[in-house]
Amino acid sequence: MNKELEHNFVTHLEQNQNIVHKVCRIYTNDPDSHNDLFQEITIQLWKAYPKFRGDSKFSTWMYRVALNTAITLYRKSKRSIKTTDLDTMNFRIKAEEYDSEVEEQLKLMYAAVKQLNDIEKALVFLYLEDRSYKEIADTMGISEVNARVKMNRVKTKLKKILNP
Amino acid sequence: MDELELLKKDWKSREHELPKLSYEDIYSMILKKSSSIVRWIFIISILEFVLWASLDIVFKMNNVHTHFDHIEKGTVLDNFSLIISIISYSILIYFIVRFYLNYKKIASTDSAKVLMRNIIKTRKTVKQYIFVNISLFAMVMITTMAYVLLFTEGLNENPLESQPPIWLIITITLLVTLIFVGLIALFYRVIYGILTSRLKKNYAELEKLDV
Repeated sequence: MNKELEHNFVTHLEQNQNIVHKVCRIYTNDPDSHNDLFQEITIQLWKAYPKFRGDSKFSTWMYRVALNTAITLYRKSKRSIKTTDLDTMNFRIKAEEYDSEVEEQLKLMYAAVKQLNDIEKALVFLYLEDRSYKEIADTMGISEVNARVKMNRVKTKLKKILNP
Repeated sequence: MDELELLKKDWKSREHELPKLSYEDIYSMILKKSSSIVRWIFIISILEFVLWASLDIVFKMNNVHTHFDHIEKGTVLDNFSLIISIISYSILIYFIVRFYLNYKKIASTDSAKVLMRNIIKTRKTVKQYIFVNISLFAMVMITTMAYVLLFTEGLNENPLESQPPIWLIITITLLVTLIFVGLIALFYRVIYGILTSRLKKNYAELEKLDV
């Protein structure tokens, strides 16, 4: 493989690695799975890189490949998923930043997001990342209207999980 | 404040907690092999093509030529087996080409829905190949058996003790067919089920959104 292409790719990914880590954070529950998924996303990005034309932003392109890998291409390892692993994910909240009620609510929110299905997680993730509905729709392959409708449903679902 | 807005604010404030991989870490990752579902589907599909193509040959050699090797060139059965060979190899080539074209279309840069659809389509090609093969296999079995039982004079003219008894032919035919179908069913339940159940579930979820 072309050395220059390798160098460009690794540099690009090193600078934008947060996107991949955040996808791993949404879709995995322990550090090992996180690393496994990160590895697979990196391979998929690298495989697709020669066709990356730069006419779309590198980050937009990354969101797409990373989510596709997490939702479709990645085969979950057999490791059992324990919900208590949530604590190991650095979702600790500094006491001085929030009052305890907000803190409690956030903890519940993160746990609630974990309970969503793969597609809903992708929508919430893109929403948290401030992507436009146009981009969310394009990434998922649904219409913009349906992306909005589904997002509202997910919001309601989250509210229900929080206030049963 | 909207709960999700609260979450968004918190989500963004946590960027600094994310792991940081070095240039070398990432470089070593691109040298590794993918373990994606597409790779597995490719390997399994190729194995299926090989398995079926070889079973076809084994079946033909054992069932037609060993038992009835006295069949002369140009007889009905000889022509029949030649036609079946041509048909089954045309089918094999047709499906391999279709499988390859579908496989080539799979791209992680497509939208989630298109990617899933292309993977399912690729798998479907192999499934159709197997379905066509089973049908052809059953047809050949039945036709050969019927022909041998009803019309083969050569068989009847042989001394009685060198003839395979009719019940044996029927039992073997049924047994082989049953074992085949059993193995295929097992194969699909176990391997194919595990491999694509999540994919199908997610695709159905996306389809549901767009009605």
